[in-house]
Amino acid sequence: MKVYQRMARAFKAEGVTATFGMMGDGNMYWLHELHKLGGVKVHEVRHEGAGLGMADGWARTTQKVGVATATCGPGTTQLATALVTAARAASPLVAFCGEFPTNDDEYTQRLDQSIFATACEAGFVRLGSADAADDVVRKAFYLAKTQRRPILLSVPMDLQQKEWDDDEPYKPSATLFTPGVVYPDQQALERAADLIAKSKKPVIIVGRGAQWSGAGEAVLKLGERVGAIIATTLLAKTFLNECEYHAGISGLYATRGALGLLQDADCVIGIGASLNRYTTEHGYLYANARYVQIDSKPHVIMSGVRAADCYLQADAKVGAEALEKLLAGRSFKSVGYRTPDVKSRLVRHWGDTTEFPLDPDTVDPREVCLLLDEIMPPHVGMLSGSGMASGISNMMMVKRRTLMQGGHFFGCIGQMLPAAMGAVAATGQPAMLLEGDASVMMHLAEFETAVRYNMPLLVVVMNNQALGAEYYKLDVKKMDVNTAVVNTPDLGKVAVAMGGKGAIVHHMDDLAKAAKEWVANPGPMIIDVRISRTIMSVPYRRIHYGRDD
Amino acid sequence: MIEVNERIDVPSSSREVWKVLSDPHAVVECVPGASLGELQEDGYYDAGLLVKFGPAKITFNARFMLELDEPALSGAVTSRGKDNQGGTRIHATMNFRVVDQEGGAGSSILIDSNVEVSGRLSSVVESGASLVVGRMTREFTERLVARLAAGSAG
Repeated sequence: MKVYQRMARAFKAEGVTATFGMMGDGNMYWLHELHKLGGVKVHEVRHEGAGLGMADGWARTTQKVGVATATCGPGTTQLATALVTAARAASPLVAFCGEFPTNDDEYTQRLDQSIFATACEAGFVRLGSADAADDVVRKAFYLAKTQRRPILLSVPMDLQQKEWDDDEPYKPSATLFTPGVVYPDQQALERAADLIAKSKKPVIIVGRGAQWSGAGEAVLKLGERVGAIIATTLLAKTFLNECEYHAGISGLYATRGALGLLQDADCVIGIGASLNRYTTEHGYLYANARYVQIDSKPHVIMSGVRAADCYLQADAKVGAEALEKLLAGRSFKSVGYRTPDVKSRLVRHWGDTTEFPLDPDTVDPREVCLLLDEIMPPHVGMLSGSGMASGISNMMMVKRRTLMQGGHFFGCIGQMLPAAMGAVAATGQPAMLLEGDASVMMHLAEFETAVRYNMPLLVVVMNNQALGAEYYKLDVKKMDVNTAVVNTPDLGKVAVAMGGKGAIVHHMDDLAKAAKEWVANPGPMIIDVRISRTIMSVPYRRIHYGRDD
Repeated sequence: MIEVNERIDVPSSSREVWKVLSDPHAVVECVPGASLGELQEDGYYDAGLLVKFGPAKITFNARFMLELDEPALSGAVTSRGKDNQGGTRIHATMNFRVVDQEGGAGSSILIDSNVEVSGRLSSVVESGASLVVGRMTREFTERLVARLAAGSAG
């Protein structure tokens, strides 16, 4: 057996069932072996970075290690933006990357992949000798899981071809450690309970950590006991919104009605949420609140290098349960923020009623969001892209879905189409992606990948024929907005040419028809929705125009 | 850096306008969200300013100094402040001059000022802040005109 064969077997033994990447001579033997072994779906994509983005989407959805692959040198450098995005998303990934041969320093595709990985916020593991083939795979998976970030596993081409003659079974990374649950310290718990018991207007903010630990029930019980409004981070959008005291996303994506309530909070209880600058609006949203933060990490600092008044290191679920139990033991029960007045202010507070004239042959992006939210049943997942248009869908699409994911990890465009493909590959369930035109164009070639694997993915392009963010930022400075206008072709036709389905929308009727057609028979499809540039998202109106919408 | 160059026309004489602008208490009453504290030994006044930026309300604790040149009917205000979260700083200078309108009973206030915002919010408010400053200038003008009208009526 060769080293590359052993490494392919090791990946399979780690429980890998899918890989995403492009074949090149630095990874082709390993990929060939994975094909031969069976049981691993090898996704051949059109750009290595997009492949890693798909592995990232897979990891975000399954909470298991996603696997990407690229060839040495130029294949690996393509991973840059996707690596940083995955690192910021705290996604456990292993990227199998070829590396130039150890015996050829003048090899054209040479690259110091260690420095590259470091610059991209990824961990790095290198095969230094053929004997270590098992060890490096085990270490890469161990680091991916424990550090929750991408690990670049760099494997020199010549070492891949060495003989491997050890027939001991591979020991997966799971043999190295058993993930444990973090229980709270009793004193810290008492302090948190003391602080919460003094509150008249508490707000609980739940993030992905709460979702990952399955803290939903525990949070609802705690919220009921202390009388808290529940809000989420962008990334946990719609989580627990079955609660009638749910205020949506905390931060500038909150509606005017919700913001007024959040601003008056006297206590914020962050559960599995980093409480970053967006969630707390640099702290200004909760100017008069004291903070309790529950997170499984030893400690977390919030936006602006500030610490919570009481930090409780605990698993989100265990921490919320323990806090509720302690308060119950003290016979503490408070109406808090759960008054009839607050409830009435949170009913139907989603509307953005500001009127704008429409550009000819375009539709109102807000109506697009409302219609899609209505037509798409809850089993259709929803992924929200980046850019100006996502500010609209992030606020207006509130239906609770089996899959709901937001972006913005690295503030880059273009990364959500691959992530959506990874999510769909992981679940096999239909999902829609709402994304801007410049983002979709960036990795448009991957739509062909979605077609090849017949992914039930609907790409709704919120197409304002411009680099939306820049368009409005230039407008504010009274500069020439036309420098940010970049036209696209009819992307519905492009989708059809690539072998999928497609439609273009100039009127709302076109959208209803196309969306219903997709729901009836979900497959790879692009709906190119021409939206009016006259309509800006609410956060943009607030940030760039200082408006109180 | 936000620059504001305004010309405010008021139907009162330059003397009447000067009387208001040279009195820190009167000026502060014309600034929405502002409150005046003590005059310190170094010539600076303590002041507070609540700025509404979009839906956010930000309270600044500020210090300012007023330098007046009565013969020229002009003055300069230097101020610096920090918000109560400790994350955003403002530094502003304003020069004003009151002139009689040619062939009329009214006068004009010529203002040019620079406002610099730094810290956490600076990137967020970079463009929007100039609109907020513009809005505050308009509100200041309205209050000033109303005060002058009330003064002359009395």
